[in-house]
Amino acid sequence: MAEVVLENICKTYGNNFNAIDQLNLSVKDGEFLILVGPSGCGKSTALRMIAGLEDITSGSLRIGGTDVVDMPPKDRDIAMVFQSYALYPHMTVFENIAFSMRLAGKSKAERKKRVDEIAKTLQLTSLLDSKPANLSGGQRQRVAMGRAMVREPAAFLMDEPLSNLDAKLRVQMRAEITSLQKQLGVTTIYVTHDQTEAMTMGDRVAVLKGGVLQQVDTPKKLYESPVNAFVAGFIGSPSMSLFEATLTGNELICGAFGIRLQDAAFARRPSLRSYAGRKVVFGIRPEHLYDSSLESGRKYQTIPARVTSIEELGSEHIVHLNIDAVRVDSGDPDAVQDFGRTSNAVAKFEPVSEVRADSEIQLALDDAKLHFFDPETHLAI
Amino acid sequence: MTRQKRSRHRLKRAVAPYLYLSPSLVIIGLLMLLPMVTVIGYSFQNSAVLRRDPSFAGLKHYQAIFADPVFWASLWHTLYFTCMSVVFHMTIGMIFALMLNSDRINPTLRNILRVLYILPWLFTAVIIAVIWRLLLEPNGVVNSILMQLGIIGSKIEWFSSPETALHAVTFANIWAGYPLFMVSLLAGLQGIPKDLYEAADIDGAKAYQKLIFITIPQLMPIIISISLLDFIWTMQVFPLIWITTGGGPIYSTEVLSTYTYKLAFSSYNLSQASASAVVILLISLGLTLFYIRYQKAR
Ligand SMILES: Nc1ncnc2c1ncn2[C@@H]1O[C@H](COP(=O)(O)OP(=O)(O)OP(=O)(O)O)[C@@H](O)[C@H]1O
Ligand SMILES: [Mg+2]
Repeated sequence: MAEVVLENICKTYGNNFNAIDQLNLSVKDGEFLILVGPSGCGKSTALRMIAGLEDITSGSLRIGGTDVVDMPPKDRDIAMVFQSYALYPHMTVFENIAFSMRLAGKSKAERKKRVDEIAKTLQLTSLLDSKPANLSGGQRQRVAMGRAMVREPAAFLMDEPLSNLDAKLRVQMRAEITSLQKQLGVTTIYVTHDQTEAMTMGDRVAVLKGGVLQQVDTPKKLYESPVNAFVAGFIGSPSMSLFEATLTGNELICGAFGIRLQDAAFARRPSLRSYAGRKVVFGIRPEHLYDSSLESGRKYQTIPARVTSIEELGSEHIVHLNIDAVRVDSGDPDAVQDFGRTSNAVAKFEPVSEVRADSEIQLALDDAKLHFFDPETHLAI
Repeated sequence: MTRQKRSRHRLKRAVAPYLYLSPSLVIIGLLMLLPMVTVIGYSFQNSAVLRRDPSFAGLKHYQAIFADPVFWASLWHTLYFTCMSVVFHMTIGMIFALMLNSDRINPTLRNILRVLYILPWLFTAVIIAVIWRLLLEPNGVVNSILMQLGIIGSKIEWFSSPETALHAVTFANIWAGYPLFMVSLLAGLQGIPKDLYEAADIDGAKAYQKLIFITIPQLMPIIISISLLDFIWTMQVFPLIWITTGGGPIYSTEVLSTYTYKLAFSSYNLSQASASAVVILLISLGLTLFYIRYQKAR
């Protein structure tokens, strides 16, 4: 039984900077929880407070039912995998993995038995006598995992463990960590700002912004019903495009064009009617925008758009567009990258699409997939 | 480019580095190699320097100094002086570096201590010798403090009694030399990644275990290279001993450097002095080779 429960956790650094504000989070036994958010939002701070490497300013933290706020890291029964791996450079792989057992006074035979077991799981057996400096990035990563596993902790804490690996290796290690976690059934809190890791690895995802928890939910729920414009913009890559419009009857009027809404859209969110005649923020994901000249886009209504640039990825085209509407900033700094200066919308087209940069096109959109937010609070409607 | 031009260009590239090196090579040759070779030559001559056509002496002068009990006493004193100095330089330097690096000490105090601890480094050997002669005088500060505390019963003549003189000069040299270790180790400490300590915290290491398993192994390259350098330098210390005790009383602080100096400039036995100098050279050379091999191995 190793639940990790954070209640009203706050962190104020020495320079009076509030890094974490009233964080409430409950990670169930054996759950794989992903912690995401833009750079500087306090992910590492939160994780380091759970590990005991950073003091908790106020609030309570329980691991496996025990209040650990005043406990040093070693008594919290957790293991951590660092972004830098933090392997002991002068020790061999064996010694690195066995270090905690050695400190705990375990016998040589016991250490050997346990490390051999772990090395086998992680395919490190042939490397046990090497020093970290002679290992590849992926191997180092595995040693760091081994060091965490050796003590059979109540919880794994991982801070961007894959960010130092190249893209291919990252895909492989992602799968390995996920299956390892399932196999061991250890409660895991995993910090990342990689979209794919967030969406594919965890049971649930917690989104953090500026030290404040925005939403905790399954990846599917986060994607389908984000609670606010920030989560909507942050989850998904490329980001959702957000615009301001005026709701007039059944139509969203923005600039020179309108988008007709089905009655179903109002049925699903009754409060949308109350925005009649007022401004509202709507969002659409790149995958719900289509090239109207292709079969896939035929059935949807269209709006005029100008193509500013195209990234041809082989399996799909990422099309940057400019439409005549006011873009709304979700508050996600990464979104700025997706849009750049000249475009305000992004679409994913099939690779057969023949649209060219600097051309005017009719953009098809699936209006059933629109998201609506309050223009003031940015909360979902 | 024609083939000729290209080969000339290649020649230029091959020669250029040696051209840049040549001034320093010439200076080293003139100021270091030449005197070294000359001294080695002297050690095999009778009445070197004094006579215009000295005769070949073979190993006579070496036999003479090896037969001299004062030479062996000097060698022993040199080893004692050097080993104690290096060990304590390292220990004290390490303790001070750890203190200065600790974040538990108030930053203002830390800056003050940093300046205080480094002070001995600012003095030349002559000033250090004079300071310690004053402090360790029979009627000096050290004696009066020790007597007030009741640690000693009567005034001790630190530099002038054969029992204490060697310890006293060694002590003065320890005081004068630890800052090099302190500064180097402090730089080393600051370069140890913080996350290693955090990983060790999570692995369950106590403070002393972090020192043994992380700090010291991480500092090992610095400890070894500075120790070797310190050993080589301390073996050749001359002014400190010359000014405090002059090698006395009754040879009790005679080290190889003062022994050689006296042979050369008191007895005017330049041949034996050269032989003694060659012995020092060989010991230093051995250590230097060791140092270079160690540096290469890293
Ligand atoms: N020791 C510290 N003193 C003061 N402020 C700090 C300290 N450590 C972190 N911060 C601040 O707290 C905020 C959160 O930092 P944190 O490292 O938790 O962010 P993060 O979400 O992990 O970011 P990244 O994705 O870049 O790793 C940042 O704005 C950072 O500047
Ligand atoms: Mg971080």
